[in-house]
Amino acid sequence: MKARALVTVLLVALLLVPVLAPAQPKLIVGILHIGSTNDAGYNQAHAEGIQVMKRNLPEVEVIEVENVPEGADAERLMESMIKRGARLIIPASFGYLEPALRVAQRNPDVKFAHPGGYKRLPNLTTYWASTPEAFYLLGMAAGKVTKTNKIGYVVALPISFFLANINAFELGARAVNPQVETRVVFTGTFLDPAKEATAAAALLDQGADVLGVIVDSPITVVQTAEKRGAYSVGYHYLGAQTFAPKGWISGVAFTWGNLYTRFARQVMDGTFKSENILGSLNDDLLVMAPFGPAVPPDTAALVGARRKDLAAGKAHPFTGPLKDNTGVERVKAGEVFPLTDLGKMNWLVEGVVGQPR
Amino acid sequence: MRHPRLAPLARFGGLLVIGLGAFALLLLVFGRNPLRAYADIFASTLGDSYGFSETLVKVAPLLLTALAVAVPSRIWLINVGGEGQLYVGALCATWAALNLADWPRGPLLAVMALLGFAGGGAWAAIAGMLRARGWASETISTLLLNYVAILLVHYVVFGPWRDPEGLNYPQTTPFADGAILPAWPGSRVHLGLLLGLLAVAAFAFVIARTRWGLEMRAVGGNVEAAHRLGLPINRYVIVLMIVGGGLAGLAGMTEVSAIQGRLRPSLSPGYGYTGFLISWMAGGHPVGIVVAAFVLAVITAGGDILQMTQALPGSVVNILMAVLLFVVLGRPQARA
Amino acid sequence: MRSLMTGAVVAGTPLLYATLAEVIGQRAGVVNLGLEGVMLVGAVTGFVTTVLTGSATAGVLAAALAGALLNALFAWLVVDRRANQLATGLALMFAGVGLSALLGASYVGRPITGLVELPVPGLARLPVVGPALFSHDALVYAAVPIALLMHWGLFSTRWGLAVRAVGENPVAAFAAGRNPRVVQYQALLLAGALGGIAGADLSIGVAKTWAEWMTAGRGFIAVALVIFARWQPRRAIAGAALFGGAISLQLLLQTRGIPISPFILDMLPYVLSLAVLAAWGGTGRRAAPASLGRVFQGSQ
Repeated sequence: MKARALVTVLLVALLLVPVLAPAQPKLIVGILHIGSTNDAGYNQAHAEGIQVMKRNLPEVEVIEVENVPEGADAERLMESMIKRGARLIIPASFGYLEPALRVAQRNPDVKFAHPGGYKRLPNLTTYWASTPEAFYLLGMAAGKVTKTNKIGYVVALPISFFLANINAFELGARAVNPQVETRVVFTGTFLDPAKEATAAAALLDQGADVLGVIVDSPITVVQTAEKRGAYSVGYHYLGAQTFAPKGWISGVAFTWGNLYTRFARQVMDGTFKSENILGSLNDDLLVMAPFGPAVPPDTAALVGARRKDLAAGKAHPFTGPLKDNTGVERVKAGEVFPLTDLGKMNWLVEGVVGQPR
Repeated sequence: MRHPRLAPLARFGGLLVIGLGAFALLLLVFGRNPLRAYADIFASTLGDSYGFSETLVKVAPLLLTALAVAVPSRIWLINVGGEGQLYVGALCATWAALNLADWPRGPLLAVMALLGFAGGGAWAAIAGMLRARGWASETISTLLLNYVAILLVHYVVFGPWRDPEGLNYPQTTPFADGAILPAWPGSRVHLGLLLGLLAVAAFAFVIARTRWGLEMRAVGGNVEAAHRLGLPINRYVIVLMIVGGGLAGLAGMTEVSAIQGRLRPSLSPGYGYTGFLISWMAGGHPVGIVVAAFVLAVITAGGDILQMTQALPGSVVNILMAVLLFVVLGRPQARA
Repeated sequence: MRSLMTGAVVAGTPLLYATLAEVIGQRAGVVNLGLEGVMLVGAVTGFVTTVLTGSATAGVLAAALAGALLNALFAWLVVDRRANQLATGLALMFAGVGLSALLGASYVGRPITGLVELPVPGLARLPVVGPALFSHDALVYAAVPIALLMHWGLFSTRWGLAVRAVGENPVAAFAAGRNPRVVQYQALLLAGALGGIAGADLSIGVAKTWAEWMTAGRGFIAVALVIFARWQPRRAIAGAALFGGAISLQLLLQTRGIPISPFILDMLPYVLSLAVLAAWGGTGRRAAPASLGRVFQGSQ
């Protein structure tokens, strides 16, 4: 009698084990960062996106690795993540594309989402947010705020996306202030704080009173501008505003959270598609930072109105005629440079001082 | 000792243990579990066939860059320029890959390898000639040339050789199939590993069984005496630097061809410097080089895992490498 | 022009401290190729201390201490254990890279005020020269005086004489009653402190942030600069200014729209060093401390 009771109890207990055992995550997501997730910039934006995804989907587990160099190491890391059960990989840097393509080919049942790339596979999708419109608006604000009509931009590399941003910025600035000139300095690398500080100082010495920045971490340039009483325009991450309480004009930031949540859901219910996702200000991938105290309300209103035009398709940042800064005509009158072709933009527009090569 | 051949190996093993222990202590100080850390490293690099093949992928260039240091070290030349020589070799091989893209695979790869060797060799020859003339120590000149070489690669990749389809990103167009070094099917282990092992074997043969090996030993042992014997010291200086640099250049060719498939600034994560450490840990000894290359490949590959499982920055394995070298360098000096 | 001068001063200051560190070590007969690692450890320690205490001064002091400690390890290996200087130096670099990454990992992205600019009243208003020379922080102002102090110390004090004697010929120095071991330790500790300060200047002064391997090879440039300066602290000032200028020249030319590839320009410091090395260094020259020659020829 007692033995039977004992056996019954044991059986019931055994049946309960799967219920009581810690739940296996429904999905493991792996993400690779090229830099540190505290850079108040590119990498932190991706990291925040992952945090938002985790909040929305608590049953998803994440493997996150920082400072992964591009090349062979990235490939090995992705395979390691897959071995640990990752079924969605986000290689969050342009240079991870080739390794990711190879890993994707070897692991067809694992899904990949690569930002800013230009090649796809059935299990590798590409995503980005089109920033030129936002930069156009930023340019308008900066063009109104600047007193010296000189704006400096510290940029990592002359990649097409970045050139397009600068061009849009200058065109927006010119639209409200025909005398504005933007000078660009390329540091040659995504992150080198000492060089960025020197470049920023040099631009300020040349008379710029607004500094923009397109490197992984905007901290150095924004801080330098703030210290010297200049205005600043940010990129990648909203938090950069805290480094420039007085001089902040605005910025544009990536908000990947909802997109990542969507990716995770798609992988979990098998509806993952490979496509060219290009977000914009009109959806939840991109957001413009609130204007800083330096921007007067009428400028804010002007910018707001143009934003509506852009959203409605009534205006376009790259409307012809446009010449580049060596005098060559790039866009004819009456035409526009399509935003889907940004990969081919390897020139800087008239009014920008700098070399895209 | 009962087995005199085993004694140095046992000593090396002992030093390895001390080094691993010191690193374990550091991990403890930072609140991590060293046993788990080591277990993770070994499991991921040696625990399965993929991990093992990846470790071999890392060993391949390290063998060559270690030789780049070991060969000149026979006459006490210190070549710290493996990194730069690797880059220049890759640069020259890339030229062939881009300009002779329609050649059949065999000849194309042969030309690339030759150019890789020639490029690295020529780069090292600069330092060799400066040293032979008594104008500059090769230690410093090779070090400086490293930076020049990397900047040279940056220049071509941002400029004349930039891929027009690559979103203006700094990289060349991808190599044609004929320019890709073949690998063992199913893995990334490529012909470069074989080249590396052959080079080590050739090195061992030359120093043990040829006249040149004897002459190098004489020059390395007593420069004055060698000079009086009429040995062509300056020629050895230049030749050995060329050979060393050439081997590093060959490593550059194999990396750019087999692993990367195009030239990018991020070609090498410091293989040249790691090769230097390997050669020193092994005392320039061929078998030691193979063993040390393996050990360091495991360690550097293991860094990624530490990031994932121990929440440590990947560069922390640099400390382990350094500690191991400290232990080897700081050992009681039995005159070898 | 003003930009160039300012750039030369700002970029040259960490180079000057680093070069001085290497000078004093090499004068005592020890080559430290791992200066890069010492600078990194100094940079991260300085930054973290500044974040935690809010005081840049504390940061600089902590950086000096950290640099000295790391170099003490180097000194023990090289002086007491007679390890090969070049290999140990490179290993030290690796150690510095790894240690600094480890220490700094949780401090990336923290804001600091860092070293504040202290414009010299009156002089700072001079056209061109004013902002270029008289509108910097304390570490920049201190650099040249420290270089001059070291020059005086090396050539006009007994200790300096001891250092140079040990660097020329440790055996003879020993016979003359000096203790080479103690002298080399002292020189290396001082070198470590200076190297740490060089790193701190980068993280607390110039960039006011921390990133892995932010020294980007400046430690190696310093090793070359020592030769350029012919092991004399006074000449190191000129050398550092020149090379600092070269680094910022590249960025400046871009802002002017001058179409030279930035990478070709970036090569300038290294090519210059090489040229100088070939012209003035040489293994046969008398400028270098004699026992260094043996280090470079590999018999030590």
